[in-house]
Amino acid sequence: MNMLDARTWLADHGDYLFRVARRQLHSDELAEDAVQETLLAAIEAQARYAGDASPRTWLTGILKHKIVDLIRRQMREAEIPRDEDGEEAIDSLFKQDGHWAEPLRPWGNPQTEAELSQLRRVLDECADRLKPVMAQVFSLREVAGMETEEICKELNITSTNCWVLLHRARLFMRQCLELNGFSKAGAA
Amino acid sequence: MKWIPTCRETTKLASRAMDERLPFADRMAMRLHLAICENCTRFNRQLQEMRRLFRVETAADDDAPGLAPEARQRIATEVHKKLGS
Repeated sequence: MNMLDARTWLADHGDYLFRVARRQLHSDELAEDAVQETLLAAIEAQARYAGDASPRTWLTGILKHKIVDLIRRQMREAEIPRDEDGEEAIDSLFKQDGHWAEPLRPWGNPQTEAELSQLRRVLDECADRLKPVMAQVFSLREVAGMETEEICKELNITSTNCWVLLHRARLFMRQCLELNGFSKAGAA
Repeated sequence: MKWIPTCRETTKLASRAMDERLPFADRMAMRLHLAICENCTRFNRQLQEMRRLFRVETAADDDAPGLAPEARQRIATEVHKKLGS
């Protein structure tokens, strides 16, 4: 039996690959591109497949590279947010003297699978609302778990720029989560 | 940076600490601030909670939407072209 029958990849793994890509690219269109490029690259690389990973794992490995490629390509077109951009939005979170403008509310302590899946949906929706490049850098770090140093190198941005993007993304995300149900029940 | 950083400065340190080991002085400054600030302690904890929730492998059993039919069709066409060549 041929483990690698390219004709069944789309049917068997298409949705999975799309969801993985969608969570990191925050765009349907880019995620579709990532799936297509992954399958085409996989067809070319079939001969090098060693067979010690499942086809899905192998395809996901290729997808990871395609995701970074797509982000890199997009960064060449979209300006990287400059240091000043978004600083006013952060200003509104703090008082002049650097204290929080509003006290932070505690988050609930989700227990059931239903509660968790609801929170994950909010997480993804909030991440979708970040500016494109910010959302993608944030997701490479927090969703894909890439090291910051690796992200900077792959995307060719300075580590200072990387930290600024991540810091802002985290402030916005926290705020968005608080406003969208994370602070509802219980204490954390 | 002053002896004890402000909340705003502390969020920067807390965020950076999620990405790399802070230099000793920064680590101490952050610790001093967290010792007296409930909000920033909460902020720091929520950053970690956020990471935990994101890192859980969810893509597979997700009920998030999959490929749209038109996109699937388009990709299928490209795959066939490639296999045929």
